[in-house]
Amino acid sequence: MYIASVVVTICSNIIAVIGLALLTGYTGMFSLGHAGFMCIGAYGAVLLNRYLMVPYVFALILGGFAAVIVSLIIGYPTLRNKLRGDYFAICMLGFGTVVRLILNNMNNPITNGALGITNIPKLTSLWSALLFMAVLVYFMWNFVNSQYGKNCVAIQQQEVAAEMMGVSIVRTKLLSLAISAFYCGVAGGLLGFWLQYIAPASFSDTRSNDFLATLVTGGTNSITGPLLAAIFLTTMLEYLRFLVNWRLVVYGLLYILIMRFRPEGIMGYKEFSLKKTIQFFKEFPQNKVKIKEKWTRFRAERKKKTNGRRENCE
Amino acid sequence: MTIVIQQLITSVSVGGLYAVLAVGYALIYSVFDFTNFAFGGVMMVAAFSGYFVSNAGFGTVPSMIVAIATGIVVSIAVELLAYRPMRKKNAKRLFLMISAMGVNIFLTNLYLSLFGANLRTLPSGFASNTISIMNVQIGTVDIAAFLTSVAALLILSFFLYRTRPGITVRASAIDVSTAGLMGINVNRVSLIVFVISGITAAIAGMFFGMKYTVYPGMGSMSTKAFIASVIGGLGSLQGAVLGGFLLGILETLVAGYISATYRDLFSFGAMIIILMFMPNGLVGKGDQSKL
Repeated sequence: MYIASVVVTICSNIIAVIGLALLTGYTGMFSLGHAGFMCIGAYGAVLLNRYLMVPYVFALILGGFAAVIVSLIIGYPTLRNKLRGDYFAICMLGFGTVVRLILNNMNNPITNGALGITNIPKLTSLWSALLFMAVLVYFMWNFVNSQYGKNCVAIQQQEVAAEMMGVSIVRTKLLSLAISAFYCGVAGGLLGFWLQYIAPASFSDTRSNDFLATLVTGGTNSITGPLLAAIFLTTMLEYLRFLVNWRLVVYGLLYILIMRFRPEGIMGYKEFSLKKTIQFFKEFPQNKVKIKEKWTRFRAERKKKTNGRRENCE
Repeated sequence: MTIVIQQLITSVSVGGLYAVLAVGYALIYSVFDFTNFAFGGVMMVAAFSGYFVSNAGFGTVPSMIVAIATGIVVSIAVELLAYRPMRKKNAKRLFLMISAMGVNIFLTNLYLSLFGANLRTLPSGFASNTISIMNVQIGTVDIAAFLTSVAALLILSFFLYRTRPGITVRASAIDVSTAGLMGINVNRVSLIVFVISGITAAIAGMFFGMKYTVYPGMGSMSTKAFIASVIGGLGSLQGAVLGGFLLGILETLVAGYISATYRDLFSFGAMIIILMFMPNGLVGKGDQSKL
């Protein structure tokens, strides 16, 4: 049961982080408010299920669409007219806060204010979570490798050049925002039906930070990188419960250090492939030599560089 | 009537602080073309050291000086450790933004873990005193905040428009690389800009601490300042001042007459509406009209 709970959390995190990967990694827009979409998705799904008797799967998907609608409302004014990403970033930052603020202060029996909704039926099972995760990751994989995904990468690399080539910037940005909102909404619904309890406080800024940290660690331009990072960081948190309050300090440092030394993340532009990893370990003795060679070459170059610098100074 | 006047005076004093903060944002944005999200963290750290000093029994002025010193040190440390190495590598704006947000999260949560989330009151010399002019009660903090922020803005504009280092800053705001080619030491300009932003952060942090409280999450106030500079026009100094005062008035009126809980909703809503109809802000004219 405990392990199932961890796995469901991981699945939900993976879905949300993959959605964010499209927006921040591939399209190059920075967001710290995606917990807001998760919140909308969770509330939407749970309320639809409870009051309109919408079945579980449809409730999740409709919850995702609720997040999409909201994302378009915020996205259109901030993304049109080729406005700088800063506007979008600050809007998202505010959006996460505002969603929580409104839900906290709406004192009606339906959403129940800051207390949240309790007694949600436990409809998410381990297998449905895994299935949702697999299907959504598959979709995202296809999207990223399609023409649309390439448009997104083009915008991230060179916005002007992409527009010259006929990519509609506003439409592509809105599309990737909507998709990422959908993913976060579904992730929220999944989590809500598993925990049987949702409250505005469970979708705080900390959660958005967690997603971004996972994404940055895993690599902003890959699907498997964030996926592995989500698995790794979520299980780490289970083992390091006593460090819970310090993890945000570490995340902050992580952002700075990774951006400083390896901005493309640990996986970078590569995708993780099982075949290559198995091959790597099969040919481990040879690879060991190769790595050693690489290392010595790297050190020699480094030495040369510093020596050169010293000479320049003199 | 007296209530309206009182509300207006409060709003102007809050607006002045927003304006000071927004100017700090606008300076960095106009020179380096990225939003320094670490600003809130710097403000919080400065306010905390001011709090410690005044808690140790010193008066308002020494604690203000210590807060400003801390603001300068932290701001420059952030620039030297986080931003400058990245700018040297020609990092993308997105990466700079993530790094800045990392600094903010790091500082906020470091203080949260070290000192706890308690609200601390700054024991200031004029916290609860009021002056009564024709039945209108005005808090001395409000007057001090307003006067200090106006003075800071005047000194800053004198510096930018009348002194040589100020001219180098304005030249870099128009185009950093051309300014570098013309013999301006861009690294020195970046230090000047970050010193100024540290000072503005410390001033605003201290007065926010006196008006409200000092706590690790107080950096989120600087988000409002960013909104202010967006309303006025990102990267323009006059716009930042105008936006700061407008936002202060809007917020106080909303808090006074509608509901204090929905204050943030209204400020973000105002920003979205401004972006809808005037994407360059009230006085901004696109990328050319910097400083």
